[in-house]
Amino acid sequence: MVGSNRKRIDVIDKVLGKPVFAGDMKADRLLFAVVYRSPRPHAWIKSIDVSGALAQPGIVKVITGEDIPGKKRFGVIKKDQPCLAEGRVRYVGEPILLIVGETENAARKAMSSVKIHFEDIEAIRDPFTAEKSGTLIHEDGNLLGHRKVIKGNVERGFAESDVIVEHTYSTTWLDHGFMETEAGVGYLDDAGRIVVVSSTQNIHYKMKEISRVLGISEDMVRVIQSTTGGGFGGKLDVTVELFLALAVYYTKRPVMMRFTREESFVSNTKRHPLYIEYKTGAKKDGSIQAVKVTIIGDTGPYISYGETVCLRVAVHSTGPYEVPNVHADSRMFYTNNPVCGAMRGFGVPQLAFAHESQMDAVARILNMDPLDIRLKNGLRKGSSTATSQILHDSVGFIDTLKKIEPFWRERKKSSHTSGFGIGCMFYGCGNTAISNPAKCHLRLTEDGKIALHSGVCEIGQGSDTILWQILLETLKIDEKNVVLVRGDTDTSSDVGSTSASRQTYISGKAVYEAARKLNRYLDEKGYYRGRSLGDICEEAMTENNVIFDGYFDPPTTQLDKETSEGAPYATYAFATHMTEVEVDDKTGVCLVKRVHAAHDVGRAVNPRLVKGQVYGGVAMGIGLALMEEFIPGKSESLDNYYMPTSMDMPEIEVFIVEDEEPTGPFGAKGVGEPALIPQAASIINGIQDAVGVKPSQLPCHIERLKKLIEDKKSERRQEP
Amino acid sequence: MKKIDFTLNGKQTILDVEDNETLLHALREKLDIKSVKEGCSIGECGACTVLIDNEPHYSCLTLASKVSGHDVKTVEFLGDENLLHPLQEAFITYGAVQCGYCTPGMLLAAYSLLLKNEHPTDTDIKEAISGNLCRCTGYIQIVEAIRNAAGLCKCNS
Ligand code: FES
Ligand code: FES
Repeated sequence: MVGSNRKRIDVIDKVLGKPVFAGDMKADRLLFAVVYRSPRPHAWIKSIDVSGALAQPGIVKVITGEDIPGKKRFGVIKKDQPCLAEGRVRYVGEPILLIVGETENAARKAMSSVKIHFEDIEAIRDPFTAEKSGTLIHEDGNLLGHRKVIKGNVERGFAESDVIVEHTYSTTWLDHGFMETEAGVGYLDDAGRIVVVSSTQNIHYKMKEISRVLGISEDMVRVIQSTTGGGFGGKLDVTVELFLALAVYYTKRPVMMRFTREESFVSNTKRHPLYIEYKTGAKKDGSIQAVKVTIIGDTGPYISYGETVCLRVAVHSTGPYEVPNVHADSRMFYTNNPVCGAMRGFGVPQLAFAHESQMDAVARILNMDPLDIRLKNGLRKGSSTATSQILHDSVGFIDTLKKIEPFWRERKKSSHTSGFGIGCMFYGCGNTAISNPAKCHLRLTEDGKIALHSGVCEIGQGSDTILWQILLETLKIDEKNVVLVRGDTDTSSDVGSTSASRQTYISGKAVYEAARKLNRYLDEKGYYRGRSLGDICEEAMTENNVIFDGYFDPPTTQLDKETSEGAPYATYAFATHMTEVEVDDKTGVCLVKRVHAAHDVGRAVNPRLVKGQVYGGVAMGIGLALMEEFIPGKSESLDNYYMPTSMDMPEIEVFIVEDEEPTGPFGAKGVGEPALIPQAASIINGIQDAVGVKPSQLPCHIERLKKLIEDKKSERRQEP
Repeated sequence: MKKIDFTLNGKQTILDVEDNETLLHALREKLDIKSVKEGCSIGECGACTVLIDNEPHYSCLTLASKVSGHDVKTVEFLGDENLLHPLQEAFITYGAVQCGYCTPGMLLAAYSLLLKNEHPTDTDIKEAISGNLCRCTGYIQIVEAIRNAAGLCKCNS
């Protein structure tokens, strides 16, 4: 079972078009709610007049911040974001009020009758201005967070280096671009509790936020995950849930919300734009002696996952290499740009672009092969990371390089403008330096079956199938005896969110632990010697022993406040991608032709699902490297935000490395984000190999690449 | 308001539609066919793909009144639990489905291709689904599935 390409447990329904996504739901007397959002980036709200909207036909209720019965602010890390703005707005798209109508049309029409008087405040449009400006977005100033990673003595490291390479890199906003936009339905159940069914990555967090904002106890709230059409981090923050809860609270009727693509673009959190100054020192033999990285990020006006990204990028700033002297300095500033949050990789894909460009730059100066310099410096068993964590187990990085090696050594340019690039990464599975446990339980049922109660949010990546396989393997039982009860705060315990590539590793381990207990029980009761499960279930009922729970919290340590020394993650995933590109040096078009991708996943519970993650990650990496750029105020729809299509896809060969993680279920760790992280870096390095220019800004889209090539040509012409 | 008369998944269907009503709206809200998805409403994502006379169309850009007298197919036409279409089988076998939001549209675009071309090259396949965005799969396993289904199904029989 574990290690097999078992078909997804949800797939038959999906090929038949049967799954009910939130926007497909139906209910009697269903209302529709829409959000009125700020058109201004930064302004005082002087007055709100909703009388015109209320007078429109079919309008049932208009809700403003004043109407919120409980706490008015929410947030994953800190509760800083107004549910509905009062007095002041801090970004274009900030929710101000909620209009609930009999139909979607009625609600949307009434929007134009809302009258709000704003008085503009200077808008802070970049983190550098934020640092200096006297205009404060929040009372405490414009700095959200500042984290450092310090190891050894970086100045001494540079002094002892033979070569020093210094460059700056920058990246921009990206949208998650999940195909299903944010949606949900809320209603009151027979007991008068608030129920919200939504497209989400974390039901328990949202249940808690609803209870806070409505000021009611948690057991009066139930959150259920509907089939979810992709997440990628964008459905971790509250999207529709609090609005639905408020609308139900006031109207006592079922309410639906479904964002248009335009609303999704303007409201959803974005990938953090980062400015990265990177200095690397190395000896003649290629050994990296020192790395100094200064990172400045634009987090938008509210925290969301900004603090997490601030720390994670610092911790991952050296890439998967052993560097004796490190100084990473990471700061996040508030601006009046879109709120930035979690997006596949929490900032690490941006950093990979920088550290991998640096590795190639050092290799070039030393006349070393890019693969050799990585083999020389790569993390291996016994290595110490930038946070001085010694890696003992499951360090398959060198093996990922070795998988790629034969293709790299035999690479041949097919034309004078084709090229090859390598990108590498390591990525800590789970949340950074905090407890992030998962709980689940198995129950022996009245009808003689085993029910797995799981709070894990399946968002398309396949976690339900993975848990299923882990369960069946551990129990050694036929799947007709097992049922999955999932995605509902009423029937499951908190597993934490579907993020940080943590569900296979952490929730998978919790399932394993529960299954081990049940396995022992079944063994005692004679199941494996032929006694029927129905019999055992009956006996278990009489013994009142039907629940078997599982728990896992990966062992991490807190980090030193000043140096970040410590073990922020219990395990890391590793990967190497090699990419062949073909650049048209007249037009700036870059074609990605072929990718070889090697991933150390500990153990592939389902190799086909692992490959699916890698293929999807490569696609997103192509977007990050070459085409995706969210421009506030300009990127409004899929008409002016470009994501990869089938025509942009290369041939991809995936190699799975299995250096088992002892704390993981059957040795498994995560792959969701690692799949994406090294891809853009390998494309950018390929571009340099192809046409000799060094992109320092993502995306390196057609115009940017064309300009780089032209600049280089004119430089050459100027040389005597 | 206008009365239209068309074939939907092989059945004659008569429906009242507004002059400016999209086929997407009519199918989802009036005929309860929720497998037809909305991803953008401006003809950029392909989630709303249906076949009209076996050619893929964005139902978000098609006026419902225009399909009178035509043949419309949605994914329900392809198969059911008891008898999956070879394309559906292949989507399962080759891992072409993740979140499933793009899947109905992808299957229809693929079906239309195989009607016209029993042995498509990978380029043919990629072109045929180039109007259908998928954010999850990177398209690789979708192409693989369609390529493998091509040998197995006589879509026009
Ligand atoms: S909804 Fe029709 S193309 Fe996107
Ligand atoms: S499977 Fe999620 S969009 Fe295609």
